[in-house]
Amino acid sequence: MANRTDPAAKSIRGTNPQNLVEKILRSKIYQNTYWKEQCFGLTAETLVDKAMELDHLGGTYGGNRKPTPFMCLVMKMLQIQPEKEIVIEFIKNEDYKYVRVLGAFYLRLTGTDVDVYRYLEPLYNDYRKLRRKLADGQFTLTHVDEVIDELLTKDYSCDIALPRVKRRWNLESLGSLEPRRSALEEDFEEEEEKEDNDQPADELEEDYYRGRSPTRERERDRRRDSHRHRDRDYDRDYDRDYDRDYERERGRGRDRDRDRDRDRDRERDRDRYRLREEKDYGREREGRERDRRDRDRDRGRRRSRSRSRSRSKDRKDYDGGDYRKRHARSSASPRRHGDGHEDDEPKKKKEKKEKKEKKDDGTDHPDPEIAEANKLRAALGLKPLKV
Amino acid sequence: MIEVVLNDRLGKKVRVKCNDDDTIGDLKKLVAAQTGTRADKIRIQKWYTIYKDHITLKDCEIHDGMGLELYYN
Repeated sequence: MANRTDPAAKSIRGTNPQNLVEKILRSKIYQNTYWKEQCFGLTAETLVDKAMELDHLGGTYGGNRKPTPFMCLVMKMLQIQPEKEIVIEFIKNEDYKYVRVLGAFYLRLTGTDVDVYRYLEPLYNDYRKLRRKLADGQFTLTHVDEVIDELLTKDYSCDIALPRVKRRWNLESLGSLEPRRSALEEDFEEEEEKEDNDQPADELEEDYYRGRSPTRERERDRRRDSHRHRDRDYDRDYDRDYDRDYERERGRGRDRDRDRDRDRDRERDRDRYRLREEKDYGREREGRERDRRDRDRDRGRRRSRSRSRSRSKDRKDYDGGDYRKRHARSSASPRRHGDGHEDDEPKKKKEKKEKKEKKDDGTDHPDPEIAEANKLRAALGLKPLKV
Repeated sequence: MIEVVLNDRLGKKVRVKCNDDDTIGDLKKLVAAQTGTRADKIRIQKWYTIYKDHITLKDCEIHDGMGLELYYN
């Protein structure tokens, strides 16, 4: 009785809304005392009171995976299915941050793609701290905008598999959404103009997050550093007064991005050169070692391979461009081109040893099963098997 | 290197090669890679003893060829 969904509730994504939470976790919630005592007979209004009492968020914790009150309230919301206006009120309220996060979580689970982006993105401006309970029962510090980021980019949060939403640029290209504008836009423009004048922009901005349209990613990396006046930006977002600033941003943004791109590429090329040299040196040396081993062991199967490698072995220090390009073995860097290898001997030996160890770390084992197991272990970040 | 067998009695039986100084958490990752469930959803038990994530297999006295029970959280 208490666990049945409201019969008037509509189905979410083709199923009973409570099925968004998977079976095992659902049964754990039903057996939880908080659910049985506090969440019995809750309505939308009384749910708000319970939500205001929340002081941490999280999934399940402990050896037997006890759900947090946050989880129970999410489940309750799925059960009673409050209307969209109520959920948006949850999100818009500024006083209680856990109520906000609760509303955001529920909307992420049940809302359409456009709604999700539209209502959750303003919450990126909320920098307040939150307490999060980890799986081992300890608390950790997080922030509202980090949680929102997790909801929008990852597909698993608080032990619930989040339903898939389309990527933002898909929606933008469809025209359902406008390109993202950070609320701290103008402040960044001033900062960047100052920066461009002072020093060359040389950040190597990695794309850590999937599914990001390029402009948004760049703005996000900057946003963490500045805490600015928020109120004015909130009103702007909610009023959605885009037109005036839209044209200006686009024009200026393009020039800015071009300069940054050029500098970034220059830096990257420099690093890439250096890395490639080191890698190629190790590989060349180690290729010769392996060639000797292989030839002794497995003549038939690897004949073609060893033949090509023996050719490389005969030509001791070949710098021939064509052959090198085909096999991509030695470095094409002008720096090491004509140098005597004498002064690089000790460095090469150390690199060779490192390279050998790295290879032994993983897939170099004769037994294919163990080699494959080692490959998996290396991918997971574990040490290789001790045979 | 030891090989452990994990069985969930519902059709999933998995043999995993691992070191004896791997932790249970590492073993869960290996099992997750083989079965396709998430590592944090897996619970490894022996009768009523639930093994904790940070203890090594050697300290849990898990030897080569031993069978463990696979449950889900």
